[in-house]
Amino acid sequence: MSLLFKSRNTQGAGNNRHGISAIYFAMLNFIRQGVNSLGEMWRTPIASLMTILVLGLSLTLPATLYVVVKNVQQVSSGFSDAAEISLFVKEELNDAQTQTLVKRLALYPEIESVSYISKSQALKEFKQVSGFGQALDYLDENPLPNVVLVTPTVRYRKPQAAQQLLTKLEAEREVEFGKLDIAWLERLNALLSLLKESVFTVGLLLLSAVILIIGNTIRLSIMDKKEEIQVLKLVGATNAFIHTPFIWTGIWYGVIGGFVAFMSVVMMLWWLESAVAMVAGVYQSNFVLTGLNGNELLILLSLAIGLGFSGSYISVRKYIKDIEPDKV
Amino acid sequence: MIRFENVSKTYPGGHRALEKVSFELADGELAFLTGHSGAGKSTLLKLISVMERPSAGHVYINGVNLNVVKNRQIPYVRRDIGIIFQNHRLLDRYNVFDNVALPLVIDGMHHKNITKRVHAALDKVGLLDKVKCQPSTLSGGEQQRVGIARAIVNSPPLLLADEPTGNLDPELSMEILKLFEDFNRHGTAVLIATHDLGLIARMKYRSLTLDHGRLITDPLAQEVL
Repeated sequence: MSLLFKSRNTQGAGNNRHGISAIYFAMLNFIRQGVNSLGEMWRTPIASLMTILVLGLSLTLPATLYVVVKNVQQVSSGFSDAAEISLFVKEELNDAQTQTLVKRLALYPEIESVSYISKSQALKEFKQVSGFGQALDYLDENPLPNVVLVTPTVRYRKPQAAQQLLTKLEAEREVEFGKLDIAWLERLNALLSLLKESVFTVGLLLLSAVILIIGNTIRLSIMDKKEEIQVLKLVGATNAFIHTPFIWTGIWYGVIGGFVAFMSVVMMLWWLESAVAMVAGVYQSNFVLTGLNGNELLILLSLAIGLGFSGSYISVRKYIKDIEPDKV
Repeated sequence: MIRFENVSKTYPGGHRALEKVSFELADGELAFLTGHSGAGKSTLLKLISVMERPSAGHVYINGVNLNVVKNRQIPYVRRDIGIIFQNHRLLDRYNVFDNVALPLVIDGMHHKNITKRVHAALDKVGLLDKVKCQPSTLSGGEQQRVGIARAIVNSPPLLLADEPTGNLDPELSMEILKLFEDFNRHGTAVLIATHDLGLIARMKYRSLTLDHGRLITDPLAQEVL
C-alpha cells in the first residue's frame, strides 16, 4: 500500500489482501507480536519478575480478603436460625400457674422444647456469672422475672417464622412479653456487610495501584526504548505497530501477576488449613476452608489482564505520542 | 519527484529556518543539497519526510501535496522514502539482519521474502558476510552501509541522505557516493544533504545551496557544470 506512488507494489501485508484474509493476517501479526513481547520480558528477567511480584501481591490482598468474606459468610449462614424465644411471665403468677403454662406450651406443634427458669434460679446464675455476687445481696427483693425458654422446631427457627411464633406466644394471657433474640444475628450481618464494604474499598484502592504500577513500568520501558521508537517512526511504523508490544507486555504482566496471586492464595489456604481444622475441632464443627474455584480464578485472571491492559494502554497513549523523530 | 513551492518554515520561538524555497527534483534525478550549518538543510529534509510541516507553501512528492496528508498517514509516506542518517541510527539490540529487515517487518511482508530482500540489500552494499553481526561490532563505514541497506531494502522511489559521509574519510565517502549513483542509475531519485564541497565538486550533479534559509545558486557547482 503506497500513499504517494499508487502503482508501487511493496509486497507488504497491505497488498492484495482484503476482507477475511486481511483480518487473519492482522491477527497473526498481533499474536506474533505477543510472543515477541514475552521474549522481550525474558531479556530483563529481574525487572520483569519484580513487576510481576508487586502485581501478584497487590492482587493477593483483595483476593485473600474475598476468601475471608466468603468463608465467614459460609460460617454465619449456619447461624441464621433464631434458636430461642424468651417469654417473661407475668409477676403475679404463682408456680402452679406457670407450670401449666409450660405444659401447655410443650403441646404446641411449633415448639420443640420448653424449659422454665424461676427468678431465684436466674438470680443464682446471675450471681455466679456476673461477679456482682456481694452487691446483689443488698437488694431487698429479686428484680429478675420468671422466664420460660422456648426452642422452636426447625421450621420455626427462621427469623420470620420465629417472629410469627413470638406474636402467637405473646397472646398467651400468662405472658407479659416475649423476646426473640435475633439482635446478635443482625449485628453479625451488619459486621459482615461492613467487612464486604471494606474489602471492596481496599480492593478498589489496590486495583488502582496495580494500574498505576503497570502504567509506570510501561512508561519506563517506553522511555528506555525512546530511540527505537523514533527509528520505527522514521521507517514508517504505524502507531498501532509501535503500541502493540507495550500493550502485550501489560497483558502478560496481568496474566502472570494474576496467576501469582492465585498461587499465593492457594498456598496461604494450604498453610492455614491445619490451624483452621484445629479451631473447628475445638468448636466441634466440621468447617473446612473454601478456596477459590475455577470461575473465581477466571475472574481474577481477567481482572488482572484488564488492569494490565488499562495500565499499559494509558501509558502508551500518553507517552508514545510525544516521541517524535526530531533530527534527520 | 519532489516539488517545493514557496516553502517557509518558522520554528516556534521565531527562528526562520527556510524562506520561500522553491525547487523541483525530477524523477530519477540525483542532487546535492549544500549550505553552511544551520542553513536549513535538515529542515528541508524534515519537510519531505513530514517530520515537520511547512509554515507556508506546499511540498509535493510525486504530485501529492504533503499538506493534505493526515498525521495518521505519515507512516505510509515514510515507507515510500528511504532515509539515511549521519549517525546511521541502527538499533544496537538487534543484529544487522533485523535492522535491515525493519521496514519490511513494519510493512508486514512474508518472512521468506524478507530474507531474500535483506540479503539482496546487504549484498548491494557489500556486507552480506555481516548478516549476523551486532551493529556495534562494525566499523563506522560498515554501519553507514547497513543504514543504507535499511533505507533501500524496500526499494523506495526516493532516497534522502543527511550528511551520509559526515564521519567518513574521503575514500569511504567516495564509496558511499558510488552506491548512491548506483541506486540512481536504477531509477531512484536521490537527494543528498552534505557540506562536503570537495565531494560535490568531484561529481557532476546538480547542487542546491541554502544560505540562511534561502535557496541560492552555488558558484562552485555551476563551475563544475
